[in-house]
Amino acid sequence: MTTTCLYAADPSPTMTIGTQEVGLTAGYLLPHRLTQDHTTKQEGPALMPSWMITITDPLGDNWYRGQVSVGAEMVYIQFQKPIVSNGIGFTPKIKYTFVAGNRVRPYFEFAGGTFWTDFTNKVPEESSSFNFILTAGVGCSFFITSQTSINVGYRFQHISNAGTSYPNLGLNSSLPFGGFSFFF
Amino acid sequence: MMGNTSSRPLLGSVLALILGLGAGCSHWIELAGPVDAPTPASATVPTEARVPLLLETVRVTHNGSAIAPPALLERQVLGAIEATRLFSQHFQSGHTQPASGQPRVTVRLSIDSLVEPHAGQAAWRGFIIGASMFTLAPFIPLHYDYASDMSLEMERWDGQIKRYHATSNGSAHYNLFGANPEVIEQLKGQVTEACLSSLLNQVIQDSPFYLASKGQSEGSPIRTVSVGVRRSSPRPVAVSQPITDSSPQ
Repeated sequence: MTTTCLYAADPSPTMTIGTQEVGLTAGYLLPHRLTQDHTTKQEGPALMPSWMITITDPLGDNWYRGQVSVGAEMVYIQFQKPIVSNGIGFTPKIKYTFVAGNRVRPYFEFAGGTFWTDFTNKVPEESSSFNFILTAGVGCSFFITSQTSINVGYRFQHISNAGTSYPNLGLNSSLPFGGFSFFF
Repeated sequence: MMGNTSSRPLLGSVLALILGLGAGCSHWIELAGPVDAPTPASATVPTEARVPLLLETVRVTHNGSAIAPPALLERQVLGAIEATRLFSQHFQSGHTQPASGQPRVTVRLSIDSLVEPHAGQAAWRGFIIGASMFTLAPFIPLHYDYASDMSLEMERWDGQIKRYHATSNGSAHYNLFGANPEVIEQLKGQVTEACLSSLLNQVIQDSPFYLASKGQSEGSPIRTVSVGVRRSSPRPVAVSQPITDSSPQ
């Protein structure tokens, strides 16, 4: 009870080495057809539970002062258009969070890993169920308590099978997202 | 037979997972100083000759920048001095003061701490560990170094001053899943404790300097007290060992 009161009075987050973060992020996938060969406008909701651990003290002394955390994320995407298909993946993730701001902390992140889908015979750009997913994104965490943040941001995602089967044109998409994280 | 054969890879995988996670969650701390750690000193002093001590200032710098001394650190310092039993009472500046005109020893402590978190290396290694889907987590250690340089100034009631100096440093080694704030706090605590012990050991060797000569009341026995420093090991301290290393040697 006392702890809760302290957090309410002082919402400044303190991240040290070993601070862990669990989060849940949701967004909606919007397609990018980068070439004329891309015909599928796949889109649909995405759900991404994640875990991360802070592995550095703050780096730097200027506006770019920040901390690195690594972790992993599960990715579930339900493509609703043009045909319903599903994909689920596991992606290790690395994130750099700017800590110069106190309760508002921008970050950028990269993730990449395996992604299983039922694309076969459904999506002309991809021919296999075994794929990879790569993600690069930016976001901002708004700390509402010293341990809880609301996150919003944007990710660019690329799904392809790394040439393990053909065709392999790749699917590219934007993913605006929102979510929350709990730090402990 | 078939069941036995098929269960072996499963058993192996489970065993490897347990060992891997165990090793991956490990951390250990090594203390490297004080370099010139003397033999722990002890002495027997007359109880009545002891005087009060006033901890006047604790100045702390962190990588060269002055910071406010944490209350816990002040308590740790005062507790370590109190444990020597060299002084009759212990006061801290800003709190209850010893009676004026009474002989007392005034203490000023300066602590310069140096932290090397190897942040760049940790970031790079974290990337490698992530890229390996965390399979390399048990095999790639992360490091955090901490050093403390303490200067102690002790002023006697008659204005005579003695100065002492001690340095200690240590490293925390941990795997990704063993990283937690307590590891770093343990490292800092142990380095500080080792440094304080070294300082107070030097003070104990000068214990007659801090005693007031008081007339012995006739007929009463001389009561004495043993003074000394709490022992702290300067050797590497394994806080937690990997499961694979925990078998008897």
